[in-house]
Amino acid sequence: MHFLAYILRQTGKNLRQTWGTQVMTLLTVTLSVLLFAFFFLIYTNMLRASTRLGNDVRLIVYLDQEVTAPMRPVLEKKIRGFAPVEKIVFVSRTEAFARLSAQLGKEKDILNDMGPDFLPPSIEVYPLKKLDDLTKINQFSDFLLTLPHAAKVQSGSDWLRRFGYFTNLLRAVVLLSGSLLIISMTFIVSYTLRLTVLSRQGELEILRLLGATSAYIRLPLLLEGMLQGFLGSSCGLAALYILYQWIARHFSGPGFLNLFDFAFFPPELTTAILLTSVLLCTGGSLFSIRRFIRV
Amino acid sequence: MPKDASTDKPLVELVNVTKIYPPDVVAVEDVSLRIYKGEILFLTGMSGAGKTTLIKLICRLETPTSGVIEVAGRDLSRISTAGIQRMRQKIGVAYQEFRLLDKQTVLQNIAMAMEVTYASTKDIQARVEELLALLNLSDKRDKLVGELSRGEQQRVALARAAANGPSLLLADEPTGNLDAAATELVVNLFRHLNEKNGSTIIVATHDESIYAETQHRVMALCNGKLSAHPNRAPRQIELFEA
Repeated sequence: MHFLAYILRQTGKNLRQTWGTQVMTLLTVTLSVLLFAFFFLIYTNMLRASTRLGNDVRLIVYLDQEVTAPMRPVLEKKIRGFAPVEKIVFVSRTEAFARLSAQLGKEKDILNDMGPDFLPPSIEVYPLKKLDDLTKINQFSDFLLTLPHAAKVQSGSDWLRRFGYFTNLLRAVVLLSGSLLIISMTFIVSYTLRLTVLSRQGELEILRLLGATSAYIRLPLLLEGMLQGFLGSSCGLAALYILYQWIARHFSGPGFLNLFDFAFFPPELTTAILLTSVLLCTGGSLFSIRRFIRV
Repeated sequence: MPKDASTDKPLVELVNVTKIYPPDVVAVEDVSLRIYKGEILFLTGMSGAGKTTLIKLICRLETPTSGVIEVAGRDLSRISTAGIQRMRQKIGVAYQEFRLLDKQTVLQNIAMAMEVTYASTKDIQARVEELLALLNLSDKRDKLVGELSRGEQQRVALARAAANGPSLLLADEPTGNLDAAATELVVNLFRHLNEKNGSTIIVATHDESIYAETQHRVMALCNGKLSAHPNRAPRQIELFEA
């Protein structure tokens, strides 16, 4: 009990003695965590959105002529022969018109002057979810264009490609900010601890003469690093949560965020970021303790 | 009163101890000495005679160039770091240069010695009050050490050395900055520790006033060599040679 009380008291004393540097370190840790967690949050949401978009892939083959009933099984066999398909839907001109009319709702009057056959017939192909590779989708799209009377194939692959590029870019940013997090935490905490050690050099020397044990001298310094990691990452994550709430409040309703179902980190991931920060800062302080303290 | 050395095992034993500082400064030369539990030993000699080196060798701040030093039956050269830490908690050392923290209070400086043994705050407070009263420093308790006179700082250093009620107290020139009244307080503190705690006390001093009337053993160091003090009774020489 006395041991614990001393460790805590000494840690508090260390923090007070170098409070200016401690605040700067805390800010650096907070900003590093905030920066990393911000990009990581966007990245994880993009990944989730990417998975969802991959699940929703649908290829539409627009035809210049209606598919007759005897032709349907032939075409269906041909399509299934090329790639695994979940569902194939043949849409006639009339059905396409009915769909559009239903989508327009009260505005459907604008279609009064159009004939029910102004829309092209089409085949909607829903590939199996395992067909999530962009190249394979493109190949499938090219194949569908070779079907009899196929005029155009809409696959959304261009959009998916751009989305993929953006996700890759974001992955690089996350890795970069992650590296920055590791470097800043380890080095800044190590540097701060070095200052603490230097400011207490006389006292540490006397403690050694009085028979202080290694644990007695080292544990408060180790705890200092752990505290920096815990407080810094807590502040960083709290700031990110506040930012997330603000974005969610101000950008709610139909739009980008709804499209991506933007969500905060699950508790497990939040805890993992927090623990990693604590570990990194503890590592930084351990490095300084081993290097600068001789007991 | 001096202890009878004939049957006890020595608390501190030095066997042919020599300490040479590079390149070839002989600080202590072939010293053999036994100090018994509960004994008070005065080590006298001029400046540079080797008194401080001998004190540092006993608390293992220095290691001998040759010879063996045993404290409580343990060879200091064979004790682990943790063992040395434990040993230092039981040995009180009042350094000649004090080694106090100027920016901390008298209370904090003395308390440090007890904190490393994880003593409770209550015990620390009580012990510090007792020592400050013994050394007439009660009114300086919350003063910064840097604001005290040299004599007061010296007494704080002694109080810190005595804080844990050490089994062995090493005092290097403990009265170097003190007037007669303060010297009397220090001598009383030694007597108190010796009689109440059974502490063994080694005092390195060139201040004749503190050992002039003593019944305890007085040894002289001259150019690193130890001998019985020339003005002491033959009995003390016998103790030395025992």
